[in-house]
Amino acid sequence: MNSINQNPDRLEHALQDALRREDAPENFAANVLTRVAGKSAETEPQHSWLSIFSRPLLRWAAFAAVSTCLALGGIHYLHLQRERAQGEAAKQQLMLALRIAGTKLQLAKSKVNEINTSRPQSQPENRTPRSRS
Amino acid sequence: MAALPAADRAPAIAGTDFADIVRRYQSMVFSIARHFVGDPSSAEELAQDVFLQLHSALDDLESDEHIKFWLRKVTAHRCIDHRRRRRPPQVSIEDAPEPSAPGNAGDPLLARRLRQYVASLPEKPRLVMILRYQEDMFPEDIAEVLSMPLATVKSHLQRSLAMLREKVTRTMGEVTL
Repeated sequence: MNSINQNPDRLEHALQDALRREDAPENFAANVLTRVAGKSAETEPQHSWLSIFSRPLLRWAAFAAVSTCLALGGIHYLHLQRERAQGEAAKQQLMLALRIAGTKLQLAKSKVNEINTSRPQSQPENRTPRSRS
Repeated sequence: MAALPAADRAPAIAGTDFADIVRRYQSMVFSIARHFVGDPSSAEELAQDVFLQLHSALDDLESDEHIKFWLRKVTAHRCIDHRRRRRPPQVSIEDAPEPSAPGNAGDPLLARRLRQYVASLPEKPRLVMILRYQEDMFPEDIAEVLSMPLATVKSHLQRSLAMLREKVTRTMGEVTL
């Protein structure tokens, strides 16, 4: 009598018997197909939206639109930069003009003060003889 | 019904209905998962996931043999992922419950015990045993499917068989077939 312990083939046959394929559960294929259909329905809207760009004409149109937007944005940015530079230069000129005007005013003020301080010293000399008489 | 897109498809599977592919391989995929995972509902869910993945990957598969190879490979990897995610208490073959059956048990009991012992093997040797004895695959093919050196596959087979033989001898005595 052959035993599983003495004959390696017996063990292997027993393993083949133990591990033989089993039937999948009933409705297995139907369940898989239902899940596949559900998954396709989920991904379909995204696919249809993106499929717009699969047409060459629309792809080029989108590319042209994006390029135009980028070019217009660049021009607008350069324009703003130029305006800002002009504003800065005008500000510098104004500051210089104000500084010059301030200096001139300071000079005029000092002149006026000088004149004012020299005038009161001469007046008492003129009055003294008149009061004595 | 989800039919395969005919474009860019080899003649072997061009025009084949996806449902036909599912019906043709459902037993193979479900059984690998069932023998590995043990729990029938988890095995069914895992097998369904494999076919869902197949539906997305069909454009890259060129023939019926390619589909079969792909299914075995993906099922094996998903089995390992499934086991690692859930990580049940690992039962070594030495700790597997001892049967209370008499030594001259009949085939159904022996088959049940063998499935139990195979289920208690570590992940890789278990997959090797399932592919060898369920799918009747050669070690070279198993090595390719599992991306494993041939020597490792042979080593897993020899050691697992030796352990099973010892376990059967210890628990069931001289089993006659």
